[in-house]
Amino acid sequence: MRTYDLVHRTTYTYEHPVTSSYGRTTLTPRDEPGQVCLDTSLEIDPAPADTAGHTDYYGNRSSYFSVTERHQRLVVTSRSTVEVTREAATPGALPAVDWQEVARSVESGVLAAAAAPEVLVALREMVLPSTHVSRAPEVLAWAQPSFAPGRSLGDVVVDLSHRIRHELAYRTGSTTVHTTQAQLLAQGAGVCQDFAHLMLAALRLHGLPARYVSGYLETRPPAGREKLRGADASHAWVSVWVPGAGWVDVDPTNDQFVDDRYVVLGWGRDYHDVPPLRGVIFAEGRGSRLQVQVDLVPAGSPRFA
Amino acid sequence: MGQTARVTDLLSTPGAASEHRPDWSWLEDPADAPDERDLARARAEAERILANHGVTYGADHPDGEHPWALDPLPVIVDEADWARLDAALTQRAELLDAVLQDVYGSRRLLTDRLLPPTVVVGHPGFLRQVDGLRLPGGRELVLTATDLVRDASGGWCAIADRTQAPSGAAYAMEDRRVTAQVLAGVYRQASIQRLGPFFHAMRLALRDAAPGGAEQPRIVLLTSGPASETAFDQAYLASMLGLPLVEGSDLLVRDGALWMRGLDGAERVDVVLRRVDAEWCDPLDLRTGSELGVPGLVRAVRGGAVSVVNPLGSSVLESPALPAYLPRLARQVLDADLALPSAETWWCGEPASLSHVLAHLEELVLLPTDRSAPGTVPGWTLAARAREQLAAWIAAEPWRWVGQAAVGPDVDRLRSAPGVGSDRPGTSGVGPADLGPRAAVLRTYAVAHAGSYTVMAGGLARVAEGPLVSSAAGAAAKDVWVMQTAPDPAPAEVAEAGVLADELVHGGRVRVAGISPRTAENLFWMGRYAERAEDTVRALRVVADRWDDDHRRPRSTGGRALTVLLDALTPGAVEEPHGSRRQPALRTLLLDRSAPGAVARSLRRLGSAAAAVRDQLSTDTFGPLARVDRALRDERARARGRTGDELDLGAVADGSQVTAGLRPALDRVLDGLHAVAGISAEGLVRDVGWRFLDAGRRLERAQHVVDSVLRTFAQARPAAVEAVLVESLLLTHESVITFRRRYQSGAGVPELLDLLLLDPGNPRSLQFCLDRLREDLAGVPAPGRPTDQRDHLLADVADLAAELDVDAAVGTVAEDGRRARLVESLESMLWRLRAAGDEIERLHFARPGPGQAFEDPWDAADEVAR
Repeated sequence: MRTYDLVHRTTYTYEHPVTSSYGRTTLTPRDEPGQVCLDTSLEIDPAPADTAGHTDYYGNRSSYFSVTERHQRLVVTSRSTVEVTREAATPGALPAVDWQEVARSVESGVLAAAAAPEVLVALREMVLPSTHVSRAPEVLAWAQPSFAPGRSLGDVVVDLSHRIRHELAYRTGSTTVHTTQAQLLAQGAGVCQDFAHLMLAALRLHGLPARYVSGYLETRPPAGREKLRGADASHAWVSVWVPGAGWVDVDPTNDQFVDDRYVVLGWGRDYHDVPPLRGVIFAEGRGSRLQVQVDLVPAGSPRFA
Repeated sequence: MGQTARVTDLLSTPGAASEHRPDWSWLEDPADAPDERDLARARAEAERILANHGVTYGADHPDGEHPWALDPLPVIVDEADWARLDAALTQRAELLDAVLQDVYGSRRLLTDRLLPPTVVVGHPGFLRQVDGLRLPGGRELVLTATDLVRDASGGWCAIADRTQAPSGAAYAMEDRRVTAQVLAGVYRQASIQRLGPFFHAMRLALRDAAPGGAEQPRIVLLTSGPASETAFDQAYLASMLGLPLVEGSDLLVRDGALWMRGLDGAERVDVVLRRVDAEWCDPLDLRTGSELGVPGLVRAVRGGAVSVVNPLGSSVLESPALPAYLPRLARQVLDADLALPSAETWWCGEPASLSHVLAHLEELVLLPTDRSAPGTVPGWTLAARAREQLAAWIAAEPWRWVGQAAVGPDVDRLRSAPGVGSDRPGTSGVGPADLGPRAAVLRTYAVAHAGSYTVMAGGLARVAEGPLVSSAAGAAAKDVWVMQTAPDPAPAEVAEAGVLADELVHGGRVRVAGISPRTAENLFWMGRYAERAEDTVRALRVVADRWDDDHRRPRSTGGRALTVLLDALTPGAVEEPHGSRRQPALRTLLLDRSAPGAVARSLRRLGSAAAAVRDQLSTDTFGPLARVDRALRDERARARGRTGDELDLGAVADGSQVTAGLRPALDRVLDGLHAVAGISAEGLVRDVGWRFLDAGRRLERAQHVVDSVLRTFAQARPAAVEAVLVESLLLTHESVITFRRRYQSGAGVPELLDLLLLDPGNPRSLQFCLDRLREDLAGVPAPGRPTDQRDHLLADVADLAAELDVDAAVGTVAEDGRRARLVESLESMLWRLRAAGDEIERLHFARPGPGQAFEDPWDAADEVAR
């Protein structure tokens, strides 16, 4: 079991005065098997005139705020203490199910219906394309070698994750929210969101339900271990539905199954469902600068802020 | 209003494909049935009335809005037939409501046995952001519309449900008003069920949807704006229901509640009747970047501070796949059989349906479930290759496609006919009253009311030339007469709309008192553009007359005056050289919609401003505007026709074509503009809105009078020339008679200036306009903003006028002939008037620009720092 202190701060600096600002965050870790959020707070500066929180369609903790005070800097700081007991899935221990069997059972609904009606809804939802997860022919062509007939779903997942880690370069700033999977494959570089979306696209194209997970990685690795990619910012990975095992989280950016070094914020179909922060401002002109700071450290460690 | 693919025949003739005339047998004297001549006259009359009411459609189309097409020949439905339909539509609404509640609630119906989950979660109208939200009042589906056709056996068959923000109810009311008027003879004999009760129920439904505690809820209609396809429908519905017509920018969310911006502060809003598609209603939680919505609206709804009708997310019921499952949903939910059949539907997400659809492509209508390309496709119109391509698309993403059986008595005839879609088969030997085998669709409306639904007794029928019914493609509307046997005399539907509004006022509705800055701005600019158009027409009239008299004698007194007047009064017309001689483009200054200062351009902007505040204006306003428009159109056509003739070289050479025929057109336009001015002066309540309208007119006129005097008299001319100029300016400013009465003879420029600038009793004078302008502005609120700048500017103009010694100013002439004192004084006035206009804009109409989305942290990854 590990307990973390989490700080995620986003600072917007505007060139012109902002008269009002409306924001929505998914910055509070949700509780799930293997993870409990012990304490959490969301600070907005300037102080918001209105805030409201609710649990969204996917069960994530969502917060709304509006600032009506004139300002030229907005700081959104989320702090949480999270206890994580998650153990990584091991490929060998996953049920050995043929991926084509899984796709067929999702289509027929037999396995899901045996579980619960809402499981069926979730599975059907997570095989469809979504805002950032396309059904591009380029993805199909790229994914094809991983989907040999008769292969187990676990092996497919391991292979996709491995290929993404080794065939694509991790390069901060190489993509935007508008980059498509086809562009990603063409340029051969991206960030964790892109890798997650690519893996989602490959799985869903083959009828396999998979969802996008937004969260964090431990910032500073224990002594002697390599620092992981994406540890300084919001991180993202994939959760694949494996019959008999449920939703299994895998991080293609670092080619590993998700364990107690990860903290989950929330999940959805893709980035669009769970961006950490989105919003609308009314300002007297355009232009802003954005700074993001993330720190996920063992509880009690010195904090950066 | 969307496109509806269907094949059917005339709605009013169940089971009788060959008989297309309405049944007039109920008339006491069969001879009263309208004959062809009556109908032709009624059509022309209807066209004229609709134009006068400003009834248009499709402002969102590239070529702009076009007139609403109405065929006055009604669709007649007998009482028993309608009673069955009414019950069936009520049941359908109740079922759809139950499905909607479930979809955003427990989702118990989402199983493959009842409603396959993908039908819901794969539809773009399923908005996860509003999951779990509930409307007060017990219903989620408040308004619903259903598109119906007759099937081969003459029964009614549903082909689509409209649950997002159903359009057309107000068009239906307008169709009724017009039809009742142009077919008054038969209308008066008929016992026809009224449309009014539906709108009454709608008002009650909106009240019932208000959040708890709001005893007299404030309700607004959120419009997608004057540039939207059904702008007329939205604005007319708002005025019928007595609701303020607001755009997203008129609203804001603050402290968790929704507010309407007013000139003097914000007012709480309890219920929003939305005509904006849900996805566009909130740029924070729904579609990023939407300028039609209000950021935070979803939050306000979630907090229970405001209700949106229909609720956000209701369009999931529009999935064309849903009808396939309604029969079993009805049995599950209502424990009853579905009373109103839908066109047989196959959702390709089910393997068996997919094979059926692929095997019968050429017989089915294919619809994408998410409005994606290529839209609705009648399978039989596809050539073999296109069919293969479509089959490939469907096979690749089957859940995205629905096959629907074509419905209608004439399906086989239409399908087998060559050239379907372009040609009309089977028209030989058919009289003009025969509609032929066209597609016809009836849109019905239902509103949640008294624990169930109230169905409009009638609806909007649309008839097209081809197999697709689309108002965008020019389908004509028809009124729908639902007969009743009760000896209730036909109501005066013409007055019904007015009565309804009355009823609403006395029904205890809270009037939202203030107008929004956007409305105020549009009224102000209506005033300005109306005046600008009028000023330009008058100037054109004077210049054109002078041209006719004197352009052949440029060195004469009149000729020299003409040169001055062309530059001073119609500067926009003098840029077109013609050979070596300068020939002014006077006609262009009247007709060209894009030429700066042109009358047509001012009128177009006047029309846009009026359309944006239609709910504030009486429908009488649109009649004169339509007349002016017709005058311009006629003159355009005439001018085109003339240049098409053999070119009259003589006329070109002697310049008479510059004004040929122009005068009557100018007179017609001026006539219409006078009517517009008369309605603003006499037909509107003297409220804040009127003050802005009047202020716009006064400011424009003040600028125009100063500007025309400045341009005409800056330079001193020989006395004889100036006498002509004085005469012309008097004509331009309609002050001839006063002038002659006051100054018997020997009056010149100083006297003219006295009358046009300083006379407080002359409604055309600067002084008069200033007085009125200042009076208007004193009566409008400008909360929290100092008005001194605006008031100082106008006071300065008044001071400059007071200090102006006209004799000295006119008499002081420099060596180069320039009247420097006069010029300085008038220029000082002019820039202050312009600055005052800017200041009015800033003070009263300023509102936040469009919202900007937060920069996405993903995009800003370069700047990520620790």
